[in-house]
Amino acid sequence: MSWWDLIILNPFTNVLLWIYNLIGHNFGLAVILFTILIRAVTWPLNAQQLKSAKVMQDLQSDKEWLDIQKKYAKDREKLASEQMRIYKERGINPFASCLPTLIQFPIIIGLYQSVTRALAATPLTLLQLARSIYPFMNASAIIPLNSHFLWMDLGRPEGLPFPGGFTLSFLPYGFPTLAIVVALTTYLQTKLTLPPSTNPNDQTAAMNSMMSIYMPLFLGWLVLNYASGLAIYFVASNVLGIIQYAMMGRVNWRNLLPGGNQPAPSNARKSK
Amino acid sequence: MKRLMFISFALLGAMLLSACSGAASRGTSWPGLAADAKNAYLANGQFIYAARLSDGSKLWQYPDKGGAQEFFATPLLTPDGQLVVGSAGTDQGLISLDPATGQQKWVFSAAQDRWIAAPLAVNDTLYAPNNDGSLYALKLATGDLLWSLSIGHPLWGTPVTDGKLIFLTSLDHFLYAVDPQSHRIVWKTDLGGSAAGSPTLSTDKTTLYVGSFGSRVFAINAADGSIRWTAKTNAWVWSDPSVNSSNVYVADINGQVYSLDASSGQDSWSNITPDGPITGSPLLTTDGVIITTESGFIYSLDHNGKELWSTSIGGKIYTAPVASGNLVLIAPLGAQYLLYAVNEKDGSMLPWHFDGK
Repeated sequence: MSWWDLIILNPFTNVLLWIYNLIGHNFGLAVILFTILIRAVTWPLNAQQLKSAKVMQDLQSDKEWLDIQKKYAKDREKLASEQMRIYKERGINPFASCLPTLIQFPIIIGLYQSVTRALAATPLTLLQLARSIYPFMNASAIIPLNSHFLWMDLGRPEGLPFPGGFTLSFLPYGFPTLAIVVALTTYLQTKLTLPPSTNPNDQTAAMNSMMSIYMPLFLGWLVLNYASGLAIYFVASNVLGIIQYAMMGRVNWRNLLPGGNQPAPSNARKSK
Repeated sequence: MKRLMFISFALLGAMLLSACSGAASRGTSWPGLAADAKNAYLANGQFIYAARLSDGSKLWQYPDKGGAQEFFATPLLTPDGQLVVGSAGTDQGLISLDPATGQQKWVFSAAQDRWIAAPLAVNDTLYAPNNDGSLYALKLATGDLLWSLSIGHPLWGTPVTDGKLIFLTSLDHFLYAVDPQSHRIVWKTDLGGSAAGSPTLSTDKTTLYVGSFGSRVFAINAADGSIRWTAKTNAWVWSDPSVNSSNVYVADINGQVYSLDASSGQDSWSNITPDGPITGSPLLTTDGVIITTESGFIYSLDHNGKELWSTSIGGKIYTAPVASGNLVLIAPLGAQYLLYAVNEKDGSMLPWHFDGK
C-alpha cells in the first residue's frame, strides 16, 4: 500500500463511507457533508490564506512600495532586494498565502479520488475499494453504493438528454447542466472574493482577473469528462467558499457589477 | 512570475486529476477473454482483438481506431457463429461481430448503462445483463429487443440456465431466477453481499454454486432457491466457482483457494494460499485446477491442492484463464504483452506473445 493511500485516500474513503452509512445511503448528500467537513477542517488554512493575501494586497497600494517600484523600475536586482527589505522590516512572508493552497491541494485530490473510489463504477475500482475499507466498516453491507442523486449517476459524467434524441459527439452524455453550474459557481466565488484594487498596475489584480475567467472554464471542462460526484464536490465547495468568505466579511458584491473591482464598501472593510 | 505560478498550478491540477481518472480509461480496464479451437478473442481497453493461437498473429481488431468503446466484458461466441461483447464506454453498445473478420453485424444500444457482464445465448435468444440493473432479452440473429426486466442494481455476472430458468446475480446481494417465458422473477435468494461473479450449475443442473462479497459460498436449489449449504471463506468471493461432479473450486480476494465437497460444502484443502488476490475463476483441468493471481502468477494444483507447476508472466491477472486444447490462455493487465499462452501440462510458455499490433 502506498503512503498516499495510507495517509490520504483510505482515511478519506472511509470517512466518506461512514457518512454515507450514517445518513441512510445517500451518496450525493454524503459528498456534500464530507465537503463541509473538509472545509471546516481546512478553515484555519483558508483564514490564514485570506489574511496573508490581504497583507500582500495592502502592500500593493503602500506608498513606500509604490515608490521603490518607480525608483528601481529599470534595476530588477535592486528592486528585488528593496522588496525583500520591506518584507523583512514588516514581517511579511510573500509565500504565506501560497502555503495553505499547497497544503489544500492534496486534500482536494484525495477527496476527488475517494469519491471515484467509493463509487466503484468498474470492476477494478471495486476491487480497490474492497482493500480500502477498514475492517470495522462492514464493507459487504455498504456495497453497492447508491450512486443516484437527483437526476444523476454520480459515478459518470452528468448530462441531460437533448430533446428529440439529438446528439453531439463532443457532448456524449447530453446537455452538461452540472458543468455549467460548476463554472457559474466558480465564477461567482472567484469574482465575489477578489480583493479590491486601487492600483491600475497591480499584478495580483491582473492575475486574479485572469483566474476568474480561466478557472471556471477549467473546472467546467473537468466536470464534462469526469464523474459527476466530483461536480457535486465543486458546487458544494464553491457555495461553502462564498459563505465562508461572507462570514469573514470578505465578499465584495460590487465585483459582480461591470467595472466593479473597486474597494469594498466601508462596512465590509471594517469587519475584516 | 505570478501568472506563471497560476498556470503551473492549473497544469499540475489538471495532470493530477487526469492521472487519477486516467485510471478511468486505461488503468481500470479488465480484460475479457474467450477462445475457440483456433483463435483467441480478447476484449482489452478500447479494442477487441482476434489472435491466431498457432503463432499469435493478429487476425483483426475492432474498431480500427479507438473511440467511444471500452471493453470489460468477456466476449461470447454464440452457437450460430457470432462474437458478442458489450462495451463499457460511452456508446453503451452490445456489439455483434463476425469472429472470422471482425465485421460488425449489429449493435444494441438501448441499454441505459455500460456492459460489464457477458450475455448468455440460448437457442435464438440472447440474455444480456446490464449495469443499469436490467436483463435484456434480444433476438440473437439481429439484436432486436424482445423484452427487458428491471431487476435493480448493477448486473455484473453472466447468466446461466438449466434449460428452464435464467439464473443471474446482482450487486444488490441477491441471486435471481427468471422465467424467460413469463419474463418474471420466479425466486430470489439473499447472498449476504454483492455478487460480481456468475453462479455455476452442478453437472446434473439441480444445484447452483455461487460466491458473494459476504465471504460465503452457497449451494442453492435451482428449482426453488432454497439454500442447501453455505461455506465460509476468509474474504470476498469475486469469481465464479468451478464445479466437477464431486467438488466446488473457489477462491477469494485474500488469495485462498478452496476445494469444497459439492454435497456438503466441507473444505478438503487447508489454507492453500498461493500468492496474492484471486479474481479469476479456477480453470478445471484433467490434473486439477489452474488458478491465476493478481501478482501475475499461474499455478497448477492437483486434486489435493499440491502445486504441480507455477510460472510468472508479470503484470496483474484479474481475468479467468481460458482453455483451448492443451493451451491455457492468460490475459494480464499491465504486462509486457496482452495475451500469453502456456502448456496446461507443464506451464511452459509458448514462444509467441500477442501485443495487439
